[in-house]
Amino acid sequence: MSYYTPVALPFNTRRLSDGSILGVSKSGDHAFFSDEELAWVHCSPTRLPLERQAELSSRFFLGRDRQAPGSQRLLLSRRAAKRQTIEDGPSLHAIVPTLQCAHSCRYCQVSRTLGGHGHTMSIRNLDMACDAIFQSPSRALTVEFQGGDPLIRFDLVQRAIERISARNASENRHIRFVVASTLHQLDDEMCRFFKEHTVFLSTSIDGPAVLHNKNRPIPTRDAYERTVEGIALARKILGHEAVSALMTTTRESLNHPEEIVDEYVRLGFRDIFLRPLSIYGFAKRNERHLRYTLEQFQEFYLRALSRVMYWSQQGVELREIYACIILNKIMSSFDGGYVDLQSPTGAGLSALVYNYDGYVYPSDEARMLAEVGDTSLRLGCIGEQLVTLTNSQVQQDLIRASLVDHTPGCDKCPYNLFCAPNPIDTQAQFGTFSVPVDKTEHCRRHLWLFDHFFSWIRAADDDLLDLFHGWASIPESAK
Amino acid sequence: MRRVRARFGHGFDRRVRRVTNLTTLASEWAPDLNFAVLVKLERERTEVSHLQTSRLENVQWIESDVLQVGDIVVPANNSSEVLVLHRDSDRHHALQLTNRCNSLCLMCSQPPTRQNDSWMVDEALDIVRHFRTSPRCIGLTGGEPFLLRKTLRSVIDFIATRHPDTHIEVLTNGRLLADTHVVQQVLQGLQANVSWLVPLYGHADFLHDYVVQTHGAFDETIAGLLNLQLHCQPIQLRIVLIEPVLRSLPDLCAFIGRNLPFVREVALMACEPTGFAIANRETCQVDLRQYAKIIAQSARILNRYAVPYVLMNTPLCVLPRSLWPAASQSISDWKNVYSDACTQCTVKARCSGLFAWHEAGWVPAELRPVLEIET
Repeated sequence: MSYYTPVALPFNTRRLSDGSILGVSKSGDHAFFSDEELAWVHCSPTRLPLERQAELSSRFFLGRDRQAPGSQRLLLSRRAAKRQTIEDGPSLHAIVPTLQCAHSCRYCQVSRTLGGHGHTMSIRNLDMACDAIFQSPSRALTVEFQGGDPLIRFDLVQRAIERISARNASENRHIRFVVASTLHQLDDEMCRFFKEHTVFLSTSIDGPAVLHNKNRPIPTRDAYERTVEGIALARKILGHEAVSALMTTTRESLNHPEEIVDEYVRLGFRDIFLRPLSIYGFAKRNERHLRYTLEQFQEFYLRALSRVMYWSQQGVELREIYACIILNKIMSSFDGGYVDLQSPTGAGLSALVYNYDGYVYPSDEARMLAEVGDTSLRLGCIGEQLVTLTNSQVQQDLIRASLVDHTPGCDKCPYNLFCAPNPIDTQAQFGTFSVPVDKTEHCRRHLWLFDHFFSWIRAADDDLLDLFHGWASIPESAK
Repeated sequence: MRRVRARFGHGFDRRVRRVTNLTTLASEWAPDLNFAVLVKLERERTEVSHLQTSRLENVQWIESDVLQVGDIVVPANNSSEVLVLHRDSDRHHALQLTNRCNSLCLMCSQPPTRQNDSWMVDEALDIVRHFRTSPRCIGLTGGEPFLLRKTLRSVIDFIATRHPDTHIEVLTNGRLLADTHVVQQVLQGLQANVSWLVPLYGHADFLHDYVVQTHGAFDETIAGLLNLQLHCQPIQLRIVLIEPVLRSLPDLCAFIGRNLPFVREVALMACEPTGFAIANRETCQVDLRQYAKIIAQSARILNRYAVPYVLMNTPLCVLPRSLWPAASQSISDWKNVYSDACTQCTVKARCSGLFAWHEAGWVPAELRPVLEIET
């Protein structure tokens, strides 16, 4: 053997719909092969042209039959960077001050109507939650208020932000506050407070008025108009970039992908997140009316995404966040840290939810399951030490159930450096973690997304690659 | 370095001296420095001789039309010339610490030698002692400076102590930084303001190793870069644009974007037509204009990974205009020239120009003076 004789390194492959074979190496780099070439890589890589040998060795498909400590360390550092976010400790802390909300959305997982009792966090628990956040070693923290509609209990939001800010004067963490709200209750005074504490607002826009109002009924039937008013007020006082919006894809949405995207452009948003509906919590009761198939979502997603691309080509700055997350996984060396695609799972390790009921949950979905009686995912009580929560049986089970190397199906999947099982999603779908991963909606959806984007990248011209790389840089709002 | 004609007396020995004049000598004089006092008239020469007899033994006279106050000089090997080791007004300053090297690059502009040359470090330190003002930036070059191991660290610390505001750039192939012992010797507790200029010539081991003519160099340099990153040191990767490098430049840039995105900057440099580059002319002499598309594509790839880049030694008229903002005036003052064709060029003032030896070597591409700036 000569000094530079190539040998194949271990990597996983998958056939794409265009007939090519996609390989993803241990570094997360990819290459496309024909059947014949793939056989050469494994059996006689010396037969590959030198240029191809160079490319495949630079992407960790080929190595040497000798020690190469520099390259070995490079590979380890690449893999570590892909799983970096988990090691930094919980950086996303969601506080649910109340479940009260003026809306009665059919797909809503949790909210209770106004005036309901017992669905609001006690002051004692709120204060303890604010203090608990600082147990996380992470230098950068996001504190997000969810509901219900947190602005219905602005007093609690205000108390929490003031308490956390006061403590941070000595802690010096980089803290980003987010309030998720319909913005119907938003007024000047709240905005001034948010401005003073650099608070971002995240609201919901499902699409044009007709669709939005149908999805989100309130007695006055003007949910859309009032949210848009709230957006305008917030932008006036806090600045344009201070407000973002999320959408939920309902069965009604499926027929209006272009109109939904156009609505986001019209309202001046720079991000749109085309998310499928999670059938959790109360939504499960309406499942028959709400559910649509993965294939229906795919068709919707592709139509909406091509509308986003259309606007991008017109010079309108608009990114689709799901695409950003997938492209970040494929194209960037820095992982954006999207909680649902971490191994071990980001639930509980990079995100924690302090719920109104006094318990800490590993994710939003987990607290929603609790609302319909499945409290098995509680990590512990608010006030317990972070280390106790992390060492809890529930958290340890979540970790075990989300390790790609130990999950049959994931271990041979080329996407296992980008993706991971989502045990909480599995629990919601099947009532248990122990389900073959390929039976889960989470797995099927993400396989499709990765397949689709890889095929797209394979055929992309330079302009499209420029755009994709731009989207792949860490999308902050996607966390 | 510059070699200039000068007259000086017998006492003008091999010691490093700072050039001054009779007006400023009194304010600069120090017992541990050596001075060369610029004189024109007989009267001035006599005055310097008087100073010598009144115990100012570290002062000598020198006559020259081209030396400047603040220059640091030593006599050349004949009695009619001096070497200018440092000039305050230069844009670039460098100290060569050794001529020895552990690589043998195809295009090396300063072919290495094997003999012990530890005098070079002594001279470098002497030059630093003689600086009249702190330079903004100084390069430490070789050969391979890491062959000095802990002495390299002493040089860095010496500069940093005397000139805390000076930025130090160490030009190294990074190979010895694969050795944790060397890393400790040089990087541990390093306080000085240093950046590391490290060449990388291929995205696969055999491509890089071929250019530097050494088995295993790629792997060592990669390990070295990771060790620099571990110590939070700023890195400039240097890519010399010779034929085997240009052929796979976009792939190399993609490799950097994916694997080394922590580097502060990538420098794409036209080859200096001297030394081994002349001997290996068939690989090193390229018409850069023919590679403009490849260079632009490579820059586009670096953009995608948000890795900053700079072009060096590349005259503007050779580059597509989209790359002009990245082009820098990189050639050391004393070897920087322009051609006759450049006289009428409207962007000459911000152009890199040429290496002085382009006539014996080559130009990066046929020069096409820019006659007006399109807006």
